[in-house]
Amino acid sequence: MEAPLTLLMVVAVTIRAALFRSSLVDLVAERVEVVSPLTAWKRVVEGLALLDLGVSPYSGDVFHETPLIIYLFHFLVDYAEITFMLADVITAVALYMAVKDYNRQVFRKQKFALEADRYPPDCLELIRSPKEMYYVPLKVAMFYLLNPFTILSCVAKSTCGLNNAVIALFILSTIKGNVLLSAIFLSLATYQSIYPLTLCAPALLYLMQRQYIPVNFRRVSFWWFVVQYAFMYLGSLFVIICLSFFLLGSWDYLPSVYGFILSVPDLTPNIGLFWYFFAEMFEHFRLFFLCVFQINVFFYTIPLSIKLKDHPVFLIFMQLAVISIFKSYPTVGDLALYLAFLPVWSHLHRFLRNIFLVSCVLLACSALFPVLWHLWIYAGSANSNFYYAITLLFNVAQILLVSDYFYAFLRREHHLTYGLYLKRKDGSEATLVLK
Amino acid sequence: CSVLLIKMKQRIRRKDVTVENFLRVLTGRLPPSTPRSKRLLSDDRSNILIYLTGHGGNGFLKFQDSEEISNVELADAFEQMWQKRRYNELLFIIDTCQGASMYERFYSPNLMALASSQVGEDSLSHQPDLAIGVHLMDRYTFYLLEFLEDIHPASKTNMNDLFKVCPKSQCVSTPGHRTNLFLRDPGSVLITDFFGSVRKVEITMETINFTDHVKQLQKETYSYVDQLPVSEIIHQKPKQKDWHPPDGFILGLWTLILLVFFKTYGIKHLKHIF
Repeated sequence: MEAPLTLLMVVAVTIRAALFRSSLVDLVAERVEVVSPLTAWKRVVEGLALLDLGVSPYSGDVFHETPLIIYLFHFLVDYAEITFMLADVITAVALYMAVKDYNRQVFRKQKFALEADRYPPDCLELIRSPKEMYYVPLKVAMFYLLNPFTILSCVAKSTCGLNNAVIALFILSTIKGNVLLSAIFLSLATYQSIYPLTLCAPALLYLMQRQYIPVNFRRVSFWWFVVQYAFMYLGSLFVIICLSFFLLGSWDYLPSVYGFILSVPDLTPNIGLFWYFFAEMFEHFRLFFLCVFQINVFFYTIPLSIKLKDHPVFLIFMQLAVISIFKSYPTVGDLALYLAFLPVWSHLHRFLRNIFLVSCVLLACSALFPVLWHLWIYAGSANSNFYYAITLLFNVAQILLVSDYFYAFLRREHHLTYGLYLKRKDGSEATLVLK
Repeated sequence: CSVLLIKMKQRIRRKDVTVENFLRVLTGRLPPSTPRSKRLLSDDRSNILIYLTGHGGNGFLKFQDSEEISNVELADAFEQMWQKRRYNELLFIIDTCQGASMYERFYSPNLMALASSQVGEDSLSHQPDLAIGVHLMDRYTFYLLEFLEDIHPASKTNMNDLFKVCPKSQCVSTPGHRTNLFLRDPGSVLITDFFGSVRKVEITMETINFTDHVKQLQKETYSYVDQLPVSEIIHQKPKQKDWHPPDGFILGLWTLILLVFFKTYGIKHLKHIF
């Protein structure tokens, strides 16, 4: 499987290198759908230039990257294109290895369940075979590398690619079962943007499953593991934050990075939901709505982790989707990361109900974003409502996609427990509804 | 003065006539790239004549059908000019409806103002051309020009005669003037102080020796090219050192990375490296 993967990487790198040489670079680097105030390359260069002039890069509202990015790009600013291509390749390889390992475990669990006769006899067609699962890792890598969103994000040199690489490495280390590395990569991902904090819950669930610790609130072993993980996570976060202090000798990166993410002062339009609301809101209510919107991101963790207690990797997928829909400055690069996971659940296609609608809406909205931007900003014949309508539609399509996969996943689990052809008590055919 | 006026008139394009450009020309706050022909190169010995006409109202004058200049803005601009010593004396003539409101707010010294109508009155136009269907000139401007055509560069007529131009019988509106800010008595101010004049030149036959001064200047010979901004860039001091991350930071970061690496993959790799 390594040869097709290498070929895929060569193709992906060629496409990106070709696009880097074209005139698309300047065009794409300015698009608000691809770069946000947090991830724009222009701002990184500006911050480094300010540093060369002896001014703190966090003064003013230009630079919102973490000090580790300053350190990284201080030496790599001339090789930026290679860095971002390498980040994409690392993400793809990490996802490939993670999904391969996950498939192996799924297959092993399925084998045990089959031997223990836990599946009802009529759902044999739902059982997955190694043959169909063979190409899934390659497809995952392909979905990530050849996704137009990823390519655009790489060509625009948006640091979202680096964030995705860290999250992918976190997923890899979690699935491999390495608690320390998982905690470290998660703290790095949280350090970059706060929202991966919610990935703590699926990571904990997965690692406990792997170490055969029962997920029961009354058990000491559960709490002991949680304490261990929390210690490693918080400890590494603390170490990274203190180290960042030593880079510039000041704490003013904390309000510039985390204050900026949480308090959303910059209302440049993007593909998220925050900008329009906060642009038209009265100052009186701003704090209230800020809290509501930010809690909305973190809110789905507990209910989802209760429901998907036994399927932490699907929980990771759902959390990533929730983060990239509801975060304060989303870009298409965030989408690309969770869209890469779709081949892992390709066996659910018979239960998905809205594929056509979702794919049409996503394609149409992606095409309409630049059109309505042009109409609003340049032609002056539309206004922000038009653009926000497309943003809303885009996010609704994403939510529909995620909830559809959720429904299909739960339905398959239900069928695996209760049989494929469900009958009501009087013998007529029943339907399953997601409540 | 009048020669400069004609020159400026030819160089301003219609779309450049905005309130901002007008105020910037007056106050001198123009970008460094503005050519000298578009600047008001006045100093504290210059007398300035400003003539405005068009549509206006109580406290404003219309520019280009889309914006207005207010009497407060104008007064502040004149104060800026006074603070920066951009005029010696300034004559302000305005021919719009309710023109007197435009000079009500002046507060800088050495300003004299003339308007074609008082607040609440309309300034009317003079004669229409029935062929093209528009009026050709305003009444006040017509009579003012008629008056000025009799003035030659050496005439001794003073401002009090200018104030009598276009009485109510001819203009239908009541022209107004304001002289309380002017330091000289208007009766002693010649019209030719503002409308073009003959300079008094004294011819002398004695020689003046400048050599002492020249010796001093030779020590710092500036060529013209040295005064351009680009020479400052060429001859600037060497760039200060680039910022480098502190060594402690680099040390700490890589120690941590190495620690994690060895914790994950075991100490046994150590002997393969060293």
